[in-house]
Amino acid sequence: MISSTLIAEFASFLPENKIKVNDSADHPLGNGGKVTVYPSSLDEIVNVVKYANDHDRKVTVVGSGTKRGFGGLDKPADILLSLENYSGIIEHTVGNMTLTVKAGTVFNQLQHYLKDHKQKVSLDAAWPDHATIGGIIAANDSSAKRLGYGSARDVVIGLKTVYPDGSIIRSGGKVVKNVAGYDMNKLFVGSMGTLGVIAEITMKLRPLPKDETLVLLTVENDDLETIRSFVVSLLDTQLEPTSLELLAPSLSEKLTQIPKYTLAMSFEDVESSVAYQEDFLKKLKPAQTTMNVLKQENMEHFWNRFYTIGPNGAVSNTGDETVASIKVSVKNLDVLEVIKESNRLRDSHNLDVEAHGGLGHGICQIHVKGAKSDVVSAIHHLRGVAEKYGGHAVIKHLPYKLRQEINVWGENPPYFYLLDGIKKQIDPKRTLNNTRFVGGI
Amino acid sequence: MVKKLKTNDKHINKLARLLTGPNAILYHKEDLLAYDCDGFTIHKHLPRAVVFPKNTEEVAKIVQYCAKHQLPFLARGAGTGLSGGATPLNNEVIISLVRMKKLISLDVENRRAVVEPGYINLKLTNSISDKGYYYAPDPSSQYACTIGGNVAENAGGAHCLKYGVTTNHILGLEVVLPNGEIIHLGNDGIPDTPGYDLIGLITGSEGTLGIVTKITVRILKNPEEKQTVLAYFDDVEDGSRAVSDIISTGIVPAAMEMMDKTAIEAVEAAAFPVGHPKDIEAVLLIEVDGISAGIEEQITDILNVCTSRNVREVKVAESEQERARWWANRKTGFGAMGAISPDYLVQDGVIPRSRLPEVLSRINQISEESGLRIANIFHAGDGNLHPLVLFDANKPGDTEKALEAGSACLKVCADVGGTITGEHGVGIEKIEEMRFVFSDSEINAQTEVREVFNPDNLLNAGKLFPSPGRCGEVKKAMKAVIS
Amino acid sequence: MSLKEMIKDPTCTTKSLTNYKWKEHPDEEKWADCVHCGLCLEACPTYEITGQEQHSPRGRVHLIKSVAEGKLEVNERFMDPVFTCLDCRACETACPADVQVGGLIEEARGQIRQAMPLSGWKGMVSKVFLEGLFPYHNRLNKLGSLLGIYQKSGMQKAVRKTGLMKVMPQHLVDMEAVMPKVNPPARKKYKNQEVIKAKNESKQEVAFLTGCIMDVMFSDINESTINVLTRNGSDVTIPKNQTCCGALHVHAGNRETGRKLAKQNIEAFKDADTVVVNSAGCGCMLQDYPELFREEPEWQEKAEQFSKKVQDISKYLYDTGYETPSTPLNKRITYHDACHLAHGQNVREEPRDLLINIPGVEMVHMPNADRCCGSAGIYNITNPEMAGAVLESKMENVPEDVEMISMGNPGCMLQMAMGVEKYGRNQKIVHTVQVLDWAYKQDDEQKERGVPDG
Repeated sequence: MISSTLIAEFASFLPENKIKVNDSADHPLGNGGKVTVYPSSLDEIVNVVKYANDHDRKVTVVGSGTKRGFGGLDKPADILLSLENYSGIIEHTVGNMTLTVKAGTVFNQLQHYLKDHKQKVSLDAAWPDHATIGGIIAANDSSAKRLGYGSARDVVIGLKTVYPDGSIIRSGGKVVKNVAGYDMNKLFVGSMGTLGVIAEITMKLRPLPKDETLVLLTVENDDLETIRSFVVSLLDTQLEPTSLELLAPSLSEKLTQIPKYTLAMSFEDVESSVAYQEDFLKKLKPAQTTMNVLKQENMEHFWNRFYTIGPNGAVSNTGDETVASIKVSVKNLDVLEVIKESNRLRDSHNLDVEAHGGLGHGICQIHVKGAKSDVVSAIHHLRGVAEKYGGHAVIKHLPYKLRQEINVWGENPPYFYLLDGIKKQIDPKRTLNNTRFVGGI
Repeated sequence: MVKKLKTNDKHINKLARLLTGPNAILYHKEDLLAYDCDGFTIHKHLPRAVVFPKNTEEVAKIVQYCAKHQLPFLARGAGTGLSGGATPLNNEVIISLVRMKKLISLDVENRRAVVEPGYINLKLTNSISDKGYYYAPDPSSQYACTIGGNVAENAGGAHCLKYGVTTNHILGLEVVLPNGEIIHLGNDGIPDTPGYDLIGLITGSEGTLGIVTKITVRILKNPEEKQTVLAYFDDVEDGSRAVSDIISTGIVPAAMEMMDKTAIEAVEAAAFPVGHPKDIEAVLLIEVDGISAGIEEQITDILNVCTSRNVREVKVAESEQERARWWANRKTGFGAMGAISPDYLVQDGVIPRSRLPEVLSRINQISEESGLRIANIFHAGDGNLHPLVLFDANKPGDTEKALEAGSACLKVCADVGGTITGEHGVGIEKIEEMRFVFSDSEINAQTEVREVFNPDNLLNAGKLFPSPGRCGEVKKAMKAVIS
Repeated sequence: MSLKEMIKDPTCTTKSLTNYKWKEHPDEEKWADCVHCGLCLEACPTYEITGQEQHSPRGRVHLIKSVAEGKLEVNERFMDPVFTCLDCRACETACPADVQVGGLIEEARGQIRQAMPLSGWKGMVSKVFLEGLFPYHNRLNKLGSLLGIYQKSGMQKAVRKTGLMKVMPQHLVDMEAVMPKVNPPARKKYKNQEVIKAKNESKQEVAFLTGCIMDVMFSDINESTINVLTRNGSDVTIPKNQTCCGALHVHAGNRETGRKLAKQNIEAFKDADTVVVNSAGCGCMLQDYPELFREEPEWQEKAEQFSKKVQDISKYLYDTGYETPSTPLNKRITYHDACHLAHGQNVREEPRDLLINIPGVEMVHMPNADRCCGSAGIYNITNPEMAGAVLESKMENVPEDVEMISMGNPGCMLQMAMGVEKYGRNQKIVHTVQVLDWAYKQDDEQKERGVPDG
């Protein structure tokens, strides 16, 4: 038994209570391991990784598992390296507005802690009560407020990454401006754990806004042209929305009880500015639309639900239906077309569809549920739509078996050899998260 | 029929045939001399030739030729870099991108523009301002520097406190790789292309991974209102505490700039004097922008903070002209050193904001020990410090002393948890100081990435990284044994 | 190699003997201030056209310094960048360290001219115009009257019909086409008047430099200048011994003649308290006279005193006050900053102020108004290709919908007229003081007709 061998060999650097032998390494979403290890120190992480690399073992890295269905073609790895127990704040310098945390820290725990200091990490991501900061960064997850916040690449200023050979590689630092050497942070953000284990993360923080509001604009006749011209004129004003997210009717119904295209616009600033922007929007409101303003609990309730609409890889899907989640990136205003096409899938493919997309950043998230063949066909269709607009589609959640059929990352780019070259330089034995990323790297 | 050039260098004639523009190659010593350094003048070296391609294909042809014949080469924009990134250490063929200076397209609805690398930073803002838009990164050299150069150096600027640096505004790149292949990253500026973030990696790689030939940038809507505050402090420490206090109140100013007494002396003696009091220890320039309705509240907060930190005098700019004057005074600060010193060496450390008073007093010590004056100009909001070491290169030993003092300043920055460069890049200037912040294996991790793109190290060799430490060599040797 | 090793490397140490072998060595003080920051690049029209740094201010300063360090010889290749400079001084405005690039260029040209005397076409131009013509106002006058006859007699038309134009170099053909109508020069007209009295009460007396080209080609502007001055309470004198300012000579590297002319002018204007100039190029040169006498301290002192008295007409009017016209002059006007006004004398707002204050005038903004037009003295004759490229870039910035382009320099007026002609535009090229004079004339006409003011 390989597992017992592993435990014996781990003994020198990892106590037994941090090792769990898995009865079945198979999981409908894949990305499992024969044993799960729960290191709680950087040394332990280093030792596990180094051990694996030296002994030709494969390692899959996991946080809380919300993204378990995201990529990965390999059979179960030898070791599932969980960072769940490597969590907590390492350093928070309030005056510098920087924060260093361990990768396994749950996102909302962080935000709650920072709230007491009137600060926050300016990121928004799915399943914030579950997702770990390490996972969000490794998968480059973002959500509606990316328009105002930026994404992980804009927020991360320093990383401590454990390389497959066990060396600890620091990139960036603790300061917000840094051009010493290559910007290696960028390489690790969104690398799906294929280059190293992101162990510690330093981020720049923002002050909590003094006021925040959410304005919902619903078009009565499902006329997306109305939304388009409204958004174009809104974007040409000096208003500063942090989100400009278009919700497809079914999602709108779930979140606002109105089954029509809805635009979710949030504003964060000092009170006078938020009030001014709200008023301005009211003046800009086109005919045949309704506008609702949500504040405080209502607004929070909306966002909490919004962040948990998609599938959570940590929760087993008990039904027979196939669930998939597709991320489509296009040019900002082409989001309208993508969401419209997504909405059509309800009828054309007989699927449950929950779709939204940011008109200020160009990223759409489409969650579909239904019969396997319909889901597969819908994915192909959406990828076609994305490509038609010059963009691309990535399947963020899909059962392991289907991932063997559908290339979740799409075709390899012409410069794939550079991506593969980077992987080979850093992880020549393909120890970490093998096949998790583009082109099986 | 191409006229044969008067030179014995056969490569020059062959390179000339790859170019179609008028006078597209320079190869006489008299012409090359202007290219022997950039804004970092301590080290100079003549290039082999300077070529002026007019499009991506010509760049690719030149690169292919150089790769084939193993000729070192590098790209250059306006040559305003401050760390020697464009200095031809190895007698390179310089590929000047200044003739590729078009604004290729502007897409206001999707808030992006596509420019060629030789396009001047400020020109972008000027050419879209009538529509109410601007390009946020604003290095002090923005009157002259190219956006291609900005990408290479990941240029910052006074306003990056709120809006971020170049890398936060680059959506797509067309790159000629060191083998001459043309690749497109971030097609149409569409975000999150599957794969490692090569745009992020190439931005700030100081021209060692590829030559950027087209750039898609994000453009922003002009803020509804801008207000600029000027505050004079009798004590630098008060000034720096005010900086932290302002941010702690929850304001993210668009910019927060500080100059110390020596710097004030220089800018007042130079082209754009403002009339700062001579006996003042620190001047703080703070700009807030955003929705008009919210500005007043922020200004009130800022004035209150300044008062509580014993400000001598504080005022809000009353007109656009006044604001522009204050900024011109600040932005020409480096060049202004020419007015009080024959030479200067500018450093570019970054520190955690809260350590400012301590760092400044240590820099003072360095100044005293070296006997050289050090002026300080800094982006106080993000902790980016520019100590300017004043010296006279004609005085024997002064240059060495200045270099030592500059390096000592960087050591201080690194020691308090900061870094050695915030926006000027490592170039040739700060190669040794890389060791203040990176271990051998960390430096090795970076050169490994370079090898993927630039395996023969023909492109801008000798920059950024100190020669491999033992660790790197051992690792390489081991790899050789394995394979 | 570490940086420290690099600077110890002997290949990097560059000190050796200077290659400037003639007197008036370019002034080391002037380049010492240059820190190589490059902020001047974009200000430079020749860099804009070529994209090459040897044709940029920073590059030129670097080359001039390199000759002093013995790294370069004074030769043809060094000459090219130094003589391609337009001497527009836009770099001086851009420079944060106030490096006097213009002065350095002129000094370097002096060295080059002594090392390599001119020959060929350029030598001929220099000999005929600079040495044989401009210093002698009687010769200029003769040329002027010849031009007048040429135009009035119908000969101009005749010549244009003959093939003569076809054999002239293109830039001269272009220039001939826009030659202004020549009237008798002011110096001739007022020859017998010691003082041209102010129209009403005299408030002050000014001496007027009539200029050489100005007085021959644009004598109506001199006429306007005198009208405007006398209308605003100035008694005007035209000192008899005044001569060409010498700017063209100094730009061409002929500093010896420049000095000779300077001395003559300093003497000629000895008794004046204020010297009013309506040609930006001349005004700038007069203010720069001290530069010519670095090796003659006695004259330098005199030149210093003299240069303080020199003022552009627009600044003089702005500073001393002038009557605002009352009759609307309904024109859309854009303003071009002559380099030697804006960059050379820092006079920018004053002429605009004169124009804006004329009722009915609508000022239209010209982008990059202080960009050189390519005239640059006789640059458009000696470097026609570059001058043409610079002009093209200038014309792109001239707004379409204006009736007049106003400016304060005769060289610019000729060049801009050429631009208007060449690019099929229809703007009238005017001197700022002319516009004011016309506005006054309208007032007078209104008065004659008995229409009350206002």
